[in-house]
Amino acid sequence: MELNRRNFIKFLVGGVVGIQATPLPWKFTDDVAIWTQNWPWVPDLAKGEFSEAKSVCNLCPGGCGISVRKVDDRAIKIDGRTDYPMNPGGICPVGAGGLQLLYDETLRFTGPMKRVGMRGKGEFVRIPWDEAFQILGDRISGLRRKGVPEQVAAIDGNPKGTTMSVLIDRFMQAVGSPNYVRTSSIEDTYRLGNFLMQGSESTMAYDLENSDYVLSFGCGLLEGWGAPGRVMNAWGLWHEGHPDKRTTIAQVESRASNTASKADYWVAPVPGTEGALALGLAHVIIKEGLCDERFLNDHTFGFEDWDSFEGRLHSGFKTMVLKNYSPQKVAEITGVERETIVSLAKHFAGAKAPVAIYGKGKDGQNGSLYEFMAVHSLNALVGSINRAGGVLLPDALPLSPLPPVKTDAIASEGLRGPRLDAAGTDHYPFAHSLINNFADAVVSKSKSPIDTLLVFSANPAFTVPDGGNFRDALKRIPFVVSFSPYRDDTAHMADLILPDCTFLEKREDVVWPVGLQYPFYALTTPVVSPVYDTRNAGDALMELANAVDKTVGGAFPWEDYEAVVKVRAKGLFEAGGGRMTYEPSNPVWKQTEGKGAKPGYGDFDEMWDNLLAGGFWYRPVNVKGGSLFNTPSGRFEFFSKKIAKTIESASSQSTMETTLKQMGISVGEDEACMPHYEAAASEAGRSEQYPLRMMPYEMINLASGWIPSPPFLYKTIFDHQLLKNESFAAINPVTAAEYQLKEGDRVAVKSPVGKVTVRINLFEGAMPGIVYLPLGFGHTAYDEFIKGKGVNPNSIVLAGKDPLSGGPVWWNTPVRLIKV
Amino acid sequence: MKKEDHGKEEQGRRYKYGMVIDLDKCTGCGTCMVACAAENNVSVRPDQSDKERTITWMRLYKISNGKSFPHTEISYFPRPCMHCDHHPPCVSVCVSTATKLDFNTGIVSQIYTRCIGCRYCQAACPYGVRYFNWWDTYFPKDKGLDRYLSPEVSPRMRGVVEKCSFCHHRLMRAKNQAYAEGRREIEEKEYTTACAEACPVQAITFGDLNNPDHKVSKLIKHPFTFRLLERLGTEPKVYYRSSRDWVRKLGDNFLPGEYTPVVNQTWMEEEWSTKPGRDEF
Repeated sequence: MELNRRNFIKFLVGGVVGIQATPLPWKFTDDVAIWTQNWPWVPDLAKGEFSEAKSVCNLCPGGCGISVRKVDDRAIKIDGRTDYPMNPGGICPVGAGGLQLLYDETLRFTGPMKRVGMRGKGEFVRIPWDEAFQILGDRISGLRRKGVPEQVAAIDGNPKGTTMSVLIDRFMQAVGSPNYVRTSSIEDTYRLGNFLMQGSESTMAYDLENSDYVLSFGCGLLEGWGAPGRVMNAWGLWHEGHPDKRTTIAQVESRASNTASKADYWVAPVPGTEGALALGLAHVIIKEGLCDERFLNDHTFGFEDWDSFEGRLHSGFKTMVLKNYSPQKVAEITGVERETIVSLAKHFAGAKAPVAIYGKGKDGQNGSLYEFMAVHSLNALVGSINRAGGVLLPDALPLSPLPPVKTDAIASEGLRGPRLDAAGTDHYPFAHSLINNFADAVVSKSKSPIDTLLVFSANPAFTVPDGGNFRDALKRIPFVVSFSPYRDDTAHMADLILPDCTFLEKREDVVWPVGLQYPFYALTTPVVSPVYDTRNAGDALMELANAVDKTVGGAFPWEDYEAVVKVRAKGLFEAGGGRMTYEPSNPVWKQTEGKGAKPGYGDFDEMWDNLLAGGFWYRPVNVKGGSLFNTPSGRFEFFSKKIAKTIESASSQSTMETTLKQMGISVGEDEACMPHYEAAASEAGRSEQYPLRMMPYEMINLASGWIPSPPFLYKTIFDHQLLKNESFAAINPVTAAEYQLKEGDRVAVKSPVGKVTVRINLFEGAMPGIVYLPLGFGHTAYDEFIKGKGVNPNSIVLAGKDPLSGGPVWWNTPVRLIKV
Repeated sequence: MKKEDHGKEEQGRRYKYGMVIDLDKCTGCGTCMVACAAENNVSVRPDQSDKERTITWMRLYKISNGKSFPHTEISYFPRPCMHCDHHPPCVSVCVSTATKLDFNTGIVSQIYTRCIGCRYCQAACPYGVRYFNWWDTYFPKDKGLDRYLSPEVSPRMRGVVEKCSFCHHRLMRAKNQAYAEGRREIEEKEYTTACAEACPVQAITFGDLNNPDHKVSKLIKHPFTFRLLERLGTEPKVYYRSSRDWVRKLGDNFLPGEYTPVVNQTWMEEEWSTKPGRDEF
């Protein structure tokens, strides 16, 4: 048949008609219909009885009250609690998404595990608990038998004062190692500063709710500073009522963060010069006669010039500030206009109950000690110490101490040895623990001085701002044990996993959240029974102690972890004055000691039962009479006698100059004992090669510490912060123009210690010359929701040493941008 | 109008649930978004950065005053469904009656099993509150993620549109409780949305706009209160409140010079006026 037009059409039409006669089209139509209905799996919702369980959130040290909605044994939702003093009702995004941290199986360890395959590959195999204790117990007792117990080290991320942190410290003492290292936080700076200026080692008690002028030096009030539930609730209160009667908030920060944008005033100094700004304000306050003379005369030391016993004249705070920190000079240092400094000082001093608070973003990293002291001296100048709305002076939380550890000869010998991180030595006389130095010490030796590292509630491989130094240290330590319930970056590199329970599965205490003005204590409730084969790290530690040997085991005579918590809590009952109820109409910050609400318990058992049921304990704080400060002078010390004494004793070995230099102090002897500005610390390492600075910034909707971000949080991240797997650096358009960069361009941010590739986000609110990288991205572990998204700024931080305290200066890394 | 009259006779009093969001208080923390997703079984896929495909019933929009450093300010609009009270654009275009304005509560509903996935409503909504399920819901059983699902909200399948329901199941819960206790009316605090409950600064207030005793009906009388794209005439039941002119200005498409600040309006015997933005020294 000839293929012409006619035949072709005939064939086509014939074919179409023919196919209609077959079942094919109907079969295909049917298939398509079936295929579109072919859902792989839509969850089948298990029904059951609804109930609510009260507990406390332990994801950050903030300790918000939560109410968990349950269906039979399943937890389905976390809400705030209205019968709780810190956060009446609301919670933070991390807490709201907390159930994903409980139920996401790929995020968690389902039982004790042992590494198989290469170190750092994150491949583990399940083992029984007994075997895990056996392996670790044998290893530690082996080191003890060899007489080198100091080769065991522990990294502890639990908040200071919690029963867990006390037990870990105790375990290390019983084993005989001085190398109990804590992760750093703003608490370190507060406790140090509080100790030097006010003679107390408690946290700072900022009475924010009663204040009418909050001058925040770098505190991310809306980024998660302090106890986020409490601070954000206060934020709501500050914005109630008539505009003229509201609390004024002035934020000092280099970037237009949420806090800076939402505050009433924003002052933007160059990062690291906040201390100079505070002293500039002090200059104006002193010069204009706006000080609280009565407080200065009655309660402070070192304000005016003074003579020592030997008859030497020391210059006081006043002289130093008037000499060195004129608004003109401070304007040059900080980049803040002179007029702004003067007006801010007048506003602050003119308020009825002003308070100056100090922080660096969230509270997950340390601050600078001298900066803190400079800011805190403002409170003393205007008399805002021991006054409602200022800084209160509560007694320490009266928890019962545990009986002292009976150490054997090996342990005593080991404990006599020096700490690896050199905390407490002449270089860092006031530090208790320096995690950066610990990593340095391990990396600098050819053979690791640590054999076995135990990691509790911490993820140092991710959170330590040291340009990846800790990661290198981990690789060198022969045996790493993680007690983390999560597959975090550090656990990923571990050899043995003894997984803890999550906060919804165990009993744990919340001890006085950061910055809260009254002593507070609460207990978490095991809302659900452990989902996997995990054990409370406290119980696991006690079991481990028994597996090491009898002496170490003998240091833990308690039945279980909860029994230890109970022993400590007894002190709260014995101290008296506590309360366990909360009425929204009578919040704690309006209460005074001895008046108002009843304690709500008769004997200790009743109090304990109350606590077990998700209860809490607090004691309202009064304005004190009598002696206020426990410093050597018995007064608030502008001039710290403790620093003076320490410098003196350290300089007996060498000259004064070298002593100060060793501590990182660049000024003279007298000034070193007072709040002052350290230029070197803020200018570290900038050069023509690295003309810009990199500053990590934190967000409340992204966890940047040990706890992973619940995957829900990634819904709240903007696409100019994370797009696919790339995170963004926020830079000012002016700076971008210098480098010919536009929105979305890829750049390498290079510091002397590393390089990360990010995309550019042009942000007018960024200070020109500074590259802002979000903290919380760039995990190398966890699961598909979190792993490999963005970069971790900590991995390129070139950390200097903060003078005197020795903490890392992580806010000032010199960098340059290279277009990719 | 006839229909409305009829409704009133038949159902008695009409409820008009709505919310007021104080943008001066709002901190942009995103708790509302997380609480909403957790409450309503909204699924989370491994990549949430493609914002056109990511489902967020409550979504934060970041806004900036556009001024150069150091005068820059940012702020946020938390945006749930506006539950328009007057001819909701999504309702008039829906071909399958999958979405409807409930006259008795003022809630604009969405019935997933009726939805045919044509996405007309998504195109019609001036606020972008509607989201299309491009994939099946993602709660892999082998990862255990199905265990935190609430039995009160049905999970959605691929090919349907979903949106904020003002936590309608919470209203049902409160009503059932009231009926069980022999009451016909529910109290103000008995029904609130997940976002309003979770907000740590209490920026979101929820209640019955028709009930003069409810806090929301008082708040909407405040001169600083406004609604998004108010001039479209859809009568949204979500109100915002801000004292800053630049934030208020972004609430609608004003022509240059068209926006006028609120000045010295007397309300509750107090003087109020908006200001351009954050205070300056």
